[in-house]
Amino acid sequence: EQYKIVSRLTHSPGLSTLARSSLLCSSSGLRGLHVTAACCKNRAARIRIGKGNKPLTYEQALHPHHIGHCKGWLSQHTSNLKGEEGAADRTVEDVFIRRFMFGTFHGCLANEIVLKRRGNVLIVCTIMLQKMIPQKIYFLIGYSEWLLSHLYKCPVKLEIQTLQDKAVYKYI
Amino acid sequence: MESTAKKRRCSFNKDWETTYHWVKPVQGDSQRVFCEVCQSSFSVSHGAPERSGREFGSRKPRREEGEPRTEKMPLDQDWTAVYPAATPFRAGSVPLPVRMGYPMKGGVPPEKKGNLELIKIPNFLHLTPAAIKKHCEALKPFCTEWPSALDTDAKCDEHFPIKVECTDYVSSGLSVRNPSARIVQLKVKLSILNLDDHARKKMLKLVGERYCKDTDVLTITTDSCPLRQQNYDYAQYLLTVLYHESWKTEAWEAEKTVADMEEYSWEGSPSQKNIMDMLLRMKVAGEGEGEEVQEQLLARSEVQEYKDSVTRLKNEGDNESSVLQYKEAVKKVFNL
Repeated sequence: EQYKIVSRLTHSPGLSTLARSSLLCSSSGLRGLHVTAACCKNRAARIRIGKGNKPLTYEQALHPHHIGHCKGWLSQHTSNLKGEEGAADRTVEDVFIRRFMFGTFHGCLANEIVLKRRGNVLIVCTIMLQKMIPQKIYFLIGYSEWLLSHLYKCPVKLEIQTLQDKAVYKYI
Repeated sequence: MESTAKKRRCSFNKDWETTYHWVKPVQGDSQRVFCEVCQSSFSVSHGAPERSGREFGSRKPRREEGEPRTEKMPLDQDWTAVYPAATPFRAGSVPLPVRMGYPMKGGVPPEKKGNLELIKIPNFLHLTPAAIKKHCEALKPFCTEWPSALDTDAKCDEHFPIKVECTDYVSSGLSVRNPSARIVQLKVKLSILNLDDHARKKMLKLVGERYCKDTDVLTITTDSCPLRQQNYDYAQYLLTVLYHESWKTEAWEAEKTVADMEEYSWEGSPSQKNIMDMLLRMKVAGEGEGEEVQEQLLARSEVQEYKDSVTRLKNEGDNESSVLQYKEAVKKVFNL
């Protein structure tokens, strides 16, 4: 939420003005506080419009309230169904894996990471830019799979696709 | 090029083109040069291309990305080889002109290249009819025919009266195990078991809630052991023990009181005593005392009818037909 607070400091010159003013009075001087109504703008996952030169992917262009209508889900697992457990654990794992991938392949990710769980296998799908030589990417893929498998004690598979440039949906 | 006293940014110098053959100016930006070897531009604001540390010597040119596999796919290829198992959507492997996404105003949905929406959704490209045929062919050697003698439900019940039910759970998570999979439910109809009157009554008392009167089914649910095999063995053991115990007669069973009885029995009840006394007083059978009179009275049809109606009332409860029957029986006894 954003509060726009405008504060005005007024100093009373004499006793006559003190008597007349209806603002908060203290023994020495006057201070006034004027507050406007809060402007409760939603800022979740929204990139504010600019001059028209900022490229946006489909994922960034559609806001969170479009999930289920024009957007799909980035992470899929059965824990959110009725009678199933482990939703919180899966969410925490998702957050960790996204940060891990963002850091390991820094600057190379073209879009968000899609996580799919099939049984106990975790499949991490990414689209990458061709910024590093393939050998480096192969090493990082092996490193990520090995490390994540050992961290979570379940098979982790990486499915990488590469692009020259990001797929632009619109310019903001 | 770079002054030591006053720092200023370097810009493109024409001499570089002769010194380094791979250098080309970038339009619109004098601070950058374009390297033809690696097909990319870099900044030279900190010095000459040589000093920037890059492009020293011949470097392997950046490899062009090849054309996607879809261009080379023949029309009659084996699709089950392209997608043998469940894998996310790959734009370069699927030769279909698929588009997905909400279109921009006056535009079309975004194409499949780099489309995250197509990757998000589960696809069934690995389950084409050809693939399913292959799966069936692979599974056939392990399957046997259903026995032709068991063609009706009744026959199945007759030959396999005990039914065991277990549930397997499929979910996604770190572990495939589900603790609820250990529960075993065993169902059997009591009419199958060879029980006489006493054994049946004792079995019902032992079993309590687990017996359903309407369907005559005894359900034993076991979940106290950690493994399904153990729970199954325990359920079988329970059934065996219940059967054998209900046939045995213990010494303390002789202390069964009227309150323990499951059904109402008229012989020896207050109702019998009352009606005997009343009939004797009415002198229906004529003069005479003793056992023979009692037997004679009992043998009378009205008394039998009365006995039936009272038993029915007590066992079934008060419904219209049983009360009416009682009324008729009483009227007959009193000759009304």
